[in-house]
Amino acid sequence: MTVNYKSVFDIIGPIMIGPSSSHTAGACAIGRAANSIFKDKPTEIVIHYYESFAQTHKGHGTDYAIISGVLGFDPDDSRVPYAIGLARDQGITITFIEEPGDSPINHPNTAIVDLKNETKKVTVAGCSIGGGTIEIREIKMDGFDIKPKGPLPILLVQGGENDHQNVTKQLADLTKVNDQQRYQTARGNLYEYDLDRRLKHDEITKLAENHTTMVYL
Amino acid sequence: MYMSIAELVSASMTQHQPVYELMIEQEMATSNCTRAEVWHTMGRNLDVMEAAVKKGAAGDGVYSTTGLTGGEAVLLKKYRQTGHTLSGDVMMQAVQNAISTNEVNAAMGVVCATPTAGSTGTLPGVVFALKDRLDLTRDQMIQFLFTAGAYGMVIANNASIAGATGGCQAEVGSASAMGAAAAVEVAGGTAEQSSEALAMAISNLLGLVCDPVAGLVELPCVKRNAIGVGNALIAADMALAGCTNKIPADEVIMAMDKVGKGLPRALRETGLGGLAATPTAIRMEEKIFGKAQAKA
Repeated sequence: MTVNYKSVFDIIGPIMIGPSSSHTAGACAIGRAANSIFKDKPTEIVIHYYESFAQTHKGHGTDYAIISGVLGFDPDDSRVPYAIGLARDQGITITFIEEPGDSPINHPNTAIVDLKNETKKVTVAGCSIGGGTIEIREIKMDGFDIKPKGPLPILLVQGGENDHQNVTKQLADLTKVNDQQRYQTARGNLYEYDLDRRLKHDEITKLAENHTTMVYL
Repeated sequence: MYMSIAELVSASMTQHQPVYELMIEQEMATSNCTRAEVWHTMGRNLDVMEAAVKKGAAGDGVYSTTGLTGGEAVLLKKYRQTGHTLSGDVMMQAVQNAISTNEVNAAMGVVCATPTAGSTGTLPGVVFALKDRLDLTRDQMIQFLFTAGAYGMVIANNASIAGATGGCQAEVGSASAMGAAAAVEVAGGTAEQSSEALAMAISNLLGLVCDPVAGLVELPCVKRNAIGVGNALIAADMALAGCTNKIPADEVIMAMDKVGKGLPRALRETGLGGLAATPTAIRMEEKIFGKAQAKA
């Protein structure tokens, strides 16, 4: 059985701006994941919606929620409902596409987020599985095509075998690694670690000290 | 981590610990946080719930931007003041709390999703009615939320809490079951009775579809939380009376998962079927969005 809900606060929480935990708070979380991966200000955001997301995004406030996440807002930030205007004021172009087909990652609440600017482009495929909890099932970044199982938290580290051993050692003191993958391109390696529990802020900061390109989702 | 209701009940019975205590210990272990930290976080969730319960019933009430919902928590408050409610004041207070919370949610106010935003009124509805009924302290209300969360985690990890995958039974049904189980514990019942209350609560709402009008979390979502609280209190009372569901809680959760997977897509949060496909709902959708999508 996949354990997606690891904390009591996944069930009693999150504190959020309405109206839907899956289509608003969860959409915000997918946007935040894309923001964590992109690590920069995009000039262009394209959102592809599938199934329930395609059919009900307008009514559920999914559009502003996902953009608020891309801007890095928390789901209870009072700016969430105004995120689209705030993004456009910054010169970001935004496109929403209601895709007619089935979700390519096999979930009714699917959004695929494309972010780009002058220097880079990432694609993040996420699904909102209920109560504000999400899964990330595909990430395209820096030439890598990463396909996690889905449940968060996920740690992504680029580097060599040394980096992998360092991270493994540091993680051993913190939590269990449920699954691990290595992706290779001509430019180098990327290591994916599926963690058993969410890390605390200071634990993430410490990990990131030696791994500046690290992504924690 | 407790993966079944049977495990949770058995741990509570053998360790002579209430379920909230087991949940707090598990949370401390999995999050690497202190007791004070997890307690504080839950207290903040309770505060957000209380604010929404009060906000929707204060003054003229709150209204969504579409005008589809709002103001009915105030109607209920005034009706209760007559002293002539049919189902008694505890029940109608719980209903008022639930409607108030979901009206705040529909109006894009701040809520604590429990387990979801669409079902966000059910748990606060129950706990703030029991606060008055049983003279609960703040600590007891926080304990109530930990207990509800423990049962909710088992449901979420074994079935679903999303309307898009499981229908409304997964949202209001789960919330109602969590409320029923926690109500039993706070009223002095055993973990076994909580488990029976949970099983009865889900069984009673099995098959409930998710059919939001115009895709909005308003109609029928706000009032479905009224049946969520009513069902929770009824199931809790039945369990405290000694009634049993006969089908064990874990099997009921599995049944809910299967029923959810068997629901057609039109009845899983697409706004295409059920009440969303009625002529009135289509007119509402056209008025709000300019056009309605083709219905199932």
